[in-house]
Amino acid sequence: MNATDLTIFNPTDLVLELNPTQCDRAWQRHQHLADTSGRWQSYLNQVALDVLLPWLQAEEDSTARAFNSKGQADLWQLVNGTAIAIKDAKLVLIPTEAEDQSELRVPQEWIDIPEWKADYYLPVQVNVDAGFVRIWGYATHQQLKNGSFSYGDRTYSLSDDELITDINALWVARELCPDEVTQVAIEPVAELAPARAENLIERLGDRAVVMPRLTVPFTAWAGLLQNPDWCRRLAATRRGEATRTPVLQWLQQGMANLTAELGWRQIELAPSTVGARSAATADATAVPAFGLAKRLEIENQPYELKILPLEEAGSWRFELCCLTPGCTIPEGFKLRLLTEDLQGFAGNEDVATEPVTQLCLEVDLEPGEALVWQIEPTPSNYRVEVLQF
Amino acid sequence: MLSRQDTVAIFSTFIQFDYDRFGSWVTDTRLRRSMRQALSKITTENSPGFWSLYWHRIWQEQPQGLAKSHLAAYLQEVCFWSATKTIGGFSSSQYTAPDCFQVAIARIDKVLQGFDRERGFNLKSYASITFSNLIRELLRQKKEIDICSDWSLLRKLSQKRMSEALANAGLDRETSEQYILAWNCLKTIYVPERASSTRKLPKPDRATWEAIAELYNRERTTQLNSATNAVTSEQLEKWMLICVKAVRSYLFPNVTSLNRPKPGYDSGEIVDSVVGEVDESLLSDAIAREEAQERGQQQTDLNQFLTSAVAKLKPEEQKLLELYYSLGLKQADIARELNTQQYSISRKLSRVRKNLLKALVQWTQTTMHISLTSDILDNISSLLEEWLAGYYDNP
Repeated sequence: MNATDLTIFNPTDLVLELNPTQCDRAWQRHQHLADTSGRWQSYLNQVALDVLLPWLQAEEDSTARAFNSKGQADLWQLVNGTAIAIKDAKLVLIPTEAEDQSELRVPQEWIDIPEWKADYYLPVQVNVDAGFVRIWGYATHQQLKNGSFSYGDRTYSLSDDELITDINALWVARELCPDEVTQVAIEPVAELAPARAENLIERLGDRAVVMPRLTVPFTAWAGLLQNPDWCRRLAATRRGEATRTPVLQWLQQGMANLTAELGWRQIELAPSTVGARSAATADATAVPAFGLAKRLEIENQPYELKILPLEEAGSWRFELCCLTPGCTIPEGFKLRLLTEDLQGFAGNEDVATEPVTQLCLEVDLEPGEALVWQIEPTPSNYRVEVLQF
Repeated sequence: MLSRQDTVAIFSTFIQFDYDRFGSWVTDTRLRRSMRQALSKITTENSPGFWSLYWHRIWQEQPQGLAKSHLAAYLQEVCFWSATKTIGGFSSSQYTAPDCFQVAIARIDKVLQGFDRERGFNLKSYASITFSNLIRELLRQKKEIDICSDWSLLRKLSQKRMSEALANAGLDRETSEQYILAWNCLKTIYVPERASSTRKLPKPDRATWEAIAELYNRERTTQLNSATNAVTSEQLEKWMLICVKAVRSYLFPNVTSLNRPKPGYDSGEIVDSVVGEVDESLLSDAIAREEAQERGQQQTDLNQFLTSAVAKLKPEEQKLLELYYSLGLKQADIARELNTQQYSISRKLSRVRKNLLKALVQWTQTTMHISLTSDILDNISSLLEEWLAGYYDNP
């Protein structure tokens, strides 16, 4: 890498230095991946993020942050692209090694999965040998959706003359026309049945499947990826790791980061019950000293779903209560538990026949048994979640 | 170079190179006749600036007509100077100015499509910045690709560019799609093994070729539109070598052949074989003049605004713009001149441009009462580029 070797770039390009230390650090984070293609893709995305995020924070928006910092590494194994949240918009970096600026090619996932779609998409050239990262333009979700779609590799693309080739225009647009329409409406992606998801995770989790994103129909693939837990498990399976982390194990090992990623947090049990049990030990059959809680929003009200271990090993209590002080659960609300293949069982439902302070269910489970919870009305951002006990 | 004075000549003659230097102006008689006819219709205007806008308007209505050739003739000098100046910014290059000239003028559509006749200053300054950018990119890419092995080269280009290269090599669409799928399979399977080793990738080993062929044979059934046959790893390797060759010759055409005069130009005169090919779509005198007057006032205002905006910048910012836009220096040289670090130049320049862009956008918003969108910002950004290029080019 020789500075005097660097020739000028066009004035509207933004070129940032990439030094060997940054490269090495990014490489070390992903070099353990046995899936070579996923490894290289992860590396390029890591480098792009490591260079651009500090620049964004320094120059444009101090609040800029990786959109999904915990799940990002899993995602890079599967799809190219890195999402960044800025104040009131979302950007997706699309790293490429191409030297030419002929087109921006964006994987369909970033356009057609409602929770993934962003306002702006930025082509980012990464040249690790010459040591630079270059942004040469951007396009909005709307532009890309109206661009050309390639069925073969499931990408939306725009050619250079359809892009906005000055990244500065983006910052000026955010400032002077913040109401500009950047996104178009897209169809929701249908939820997958848990059994189907399990099947896909097993099938696509095999590293011999080199292009997992193109191996099954898009609706199935997108249905899998839009569920953060399934996405994480697919990536972990491709890394050769065991993926079904039992709830019990979460609690015993205090895997705070894992649970937080999926919206759960550890809660201490009420003092009256905690005295009756021993502290967490390495013994897998011991009853844990903690429970789990997840905040939900139902009809614009905050609620909390709790999973609490009962005194007898294998017994669990599911509790739904309202978080607003003095609030009750309206009539008609249902808390329901189903088996992994979405079958009901005796005593699996609690219904509020009048306003109540809580809904609760108690179940006895065999080790390894799994459950899916549901609430009616469905909480916003609800995703099917298979909990293994 | 002997510059052209006569308006008819400006819109009907082309540069003929003598090896790597300017040789002479060659006349296209059909264009000469067309230009004379136009001048006899609108007798009040004789300035090349007026006529460049005039032909640009006609070109927009009839992209296939003679107007484009008139504009190509008009932009010969700009293209030549852009090539000469830009090449000077590179320490060493096997490319000569005529090589760059040929590559740039061949992409005149980019200039014509990008130029905003209503708001832009003039076609020449817009062409100057567009040609310079094209040539700079070309030289930069050439430099990178020259140090890349064949197998690294395959990672260094976009799919669009690859398709263009294959089409240029004469492959039909169906074949080209198969090659592109195979190329994507190669890029997926054969990735660099170290953090920085993208330039010297060796030829894939046999096992890797087998894996690529296996992936291709699996994917072809879903990714390709038409029914295709399975390929062997040997076949696939051949395909990739054809891709490499296509890319190298597409990016860097054998310029001696480009430089050869096109048939009909070699005698210095084009034979008047067909009569009556001249465009009939000439605009009336009144319409053309009205458009020119409106533009004139807008340009004066805009020019005043930007001149004062630049004057308000900090001295070092002004210096940066001047060095960047007027001298065609390498960033390393600018850094030395301004006593600063290489990469901070791009950041600084970006910051200065952003402030100017923002000021210009706000000014446009209040003077022209338009509601902003990203597309309009894009136009304003290229307008700013055009103005900066023009401003620092003619101090």
